[in-house]
Amino acid sequence: MDFEIGGTKEIANGELVRSLGGGLILVKINGKEYQIKMLKSGSDYFEFILDDSFYSAKIIRSGSSEVRLSINGRTHTVKQHSKLTEILEKSLSLTAKIGGENMLVSQIPGRVVNILAAARAEVKKGDSLVVLESMKMQVAVKAHKDGIIKELRVKKGATVSRNDIIAIIE
Amino acid sequence: MGLAKKIQSLLVANRGEIALRVIRACGELGIKSIALYSDEDARSIHVKRADKAYYLGPPSPSESYLNIDKIIEIATNVGADAIHPGYGFLSENENFPELCSKNGIIFIGPKKKAMEITGDKMKCKAVMKKADIPFVPGSDGIINDMEEAIDIAAIAGYPVLLKSAFGGGGRGIRLANDEKQLRQEFEMAAAESKAAFGKAALYVEKYLQRIRHIEYQLVRDSHGQGRHLFERECSIQRRHQKLIEMSPSPVLDHETRNRIGEIAVRAAEAVDYLNAGTAEFLRDEQGNFYFIEINSRLQVEHPVTELVTGIDLVKLQISIAQGEAIPFKQDDLSLRGCAIECRINAEDPFFGFTPSLGTVPTCTIPYGPGIRVDTYLYPGCSVSGYYDSLVAKLIAWGKDFEESRVRTKNALNEFTVEGINTTIPLFKTIMDEDNFIKGELSTDYLERFSILDRMNRDAVESSKRDLIPAISAILLRSEFVKRSHLYQQNISSKQRTGGQGKE
Repeated sequence: MDFEIGGTKEIANGELVRSLGGGLILVKINGKEYQIKMLKSGSDYFEFILDDSFYSAKIIRSGSSEVRLSINGRTHTVKQHSKLTEILEKSLSLTAKIGGENMLVSQIPGRVVNILAAARAEVKKGDSLVVLESMKMQVAVKAHKDGIIKELRVKKGATVSRNDIIAIIE
Repeated sequence: MGLAKKIQSLLVANRGEIALRVIRACGELGIKSIALYSDEDARSIHVKRADKAYYLGPPSPSESYLNIDKIIEIATNVGADAIHPGYGFLSENENFPELCSKNGIIFIGPKKKAMEITGDKMKCKAVMKKADIPFVPGSDGIINDMEEAIDIAAIAGYPVLLKSAFGGGGRGIRLANDEKQLRQEFEMAAAESKAAFGKAALYVEKYLQRIRHIEYQLVRDSHGQGRHLFERECSIQRRHQKLIEMSPSPVLDHETRNRIGEIAVRAAEAVDYLNAGTAEFLRDEQGNFYFIEINSRLQVEHPVTELVTGIDLVKLQISIAQGEAIPFKQDDLSLRGCAIECRINAEDPFFGFTPSLGTVPTCTIPYGPGIRVDTYLYPGCSVSGYYDSLVAKLIAWGKDFEESRVRTKNALNEFTVEGINTTIPLFKTIMDEDNFIKGELSTDYLERFSILDRMNRDAVESSKRDLIPAISAILLRSEFVKRSHLYQQNISSKQRTGGQGKE
């Protein structure tokens, strides 16, 4: 699961690895493992020790994409993404602004599982051109602008890295 | 003079933290405390703490805490010896003292005459000028028309403030930078004043830039003895409403403190003031002091003075109301250490200070060395939308400014209120802000140093610091939800199979 806390604009990744028994739980956040010692748990209130510090956490509001909670009385809003689509869309619009006007770039590494458009086709902004599979999820790469596909740079089954050019739209 | 009636029962015509404050003083003095409550306040703490509590009426202030006849009726029926009005509500209603005395009840506060003068800025100015009290340059009386306002503004110099003679707490104040603006604002202000007070009573005064709001705590007894209990600096304000108050002011030296203090006492004498009050001054960058007004009540920020002087102002108020003489001389008083008060309001500082109300399921009130919290909050209480947004006052005493600042900061970190938004994050930012630490204060402090932007940045930083525990909490919660779901499924499958479900 991906998370963005507050207005930090930094995406973090987190997962619950497993329960170690005896009230200990192992989580992995941004690639680092943390052991949590549970002191109290309920449906919306938790007390635990993490990194030798005590925390009380209260879930104030919980939606599918956003959680409002307080940590030791400090209130935060955390966005959570089960899909990368949203991030992808956000980043794509950024890339288009930064440079490479015509270049549609992949924001994630993955394998091309489907191609939905052909060269010389006319596309509208937001049309899905290619489907990538990444982290067991299928993510559509969408046109970042209206135009004609001048070139499709990927083939079905190919592996793309982050920042690889998917297509050129003019 | 000496009505010398010993007060044995006292009715508190107020609610919230100030009602609780007065009830506590009654407890110390062995006085029976009588509380009043509206429908909204039946479970409020002042009802729980008072010896007796009587029902006033529906939630709206006009039908409850402003219902002067009903309050007098209850006081008479239950045989209350005295009424303490607190602040706000009826505290500055000039008819209240009269009505009390007609019914044989002691009003804890000034007499009608003094209230009439202090409540009318122009009358007050006339009296104070006679007593040689310095004023901000401007009109000497109510302005009759726009042309007169323009003449006065030209003499005082722009920018000028246009004020309603009956306003207060920052209401009805307008700024004009030039003649054109003054013409526009005058019309609007006149209409506003007419709508609110029935007459367009306006006056003009010079707008002083980069000013400090410094006020003096006053007490005066029925024997004509007046004392000042030093100053409080209340420069940190938002829309003319005080946010932080402290004593001493970082800019007052011993000589100035006493000199202005004497002026404050003289101002109290000029209106034959009785009981506790506050003389408010503005101080410009050159160090000039200008008198603005006397607030004829116990102020919200009175605890600041209590902590630096060691004097219990509410108990002193009660003894003065009983006809007793103030038991100390001016020279007996000294200002010890430093105290800072933060007004914690039920408002969201991240969204334009919008009021926030509802139930507070839990809260953590800070304590520890030097910490005092005057509040009506308790776990399970509710914050009503009918009344003032002040929910708590955090006051920290320290041997000097630095100690009281750090104590305030730590206490703010301990202070949690769930269910509502409060101004606590704003105060956390201010306690760490360089200009605040240097004592570089002015009434435009928030805008001048972009404090709200800073608060927003601090919030992002705080979120970054809490990243790991916050994500952990969300992961723990989804695990908890998943497990309880599985547990539920297990139970229902067991039930289906008559308890023989295989594990």
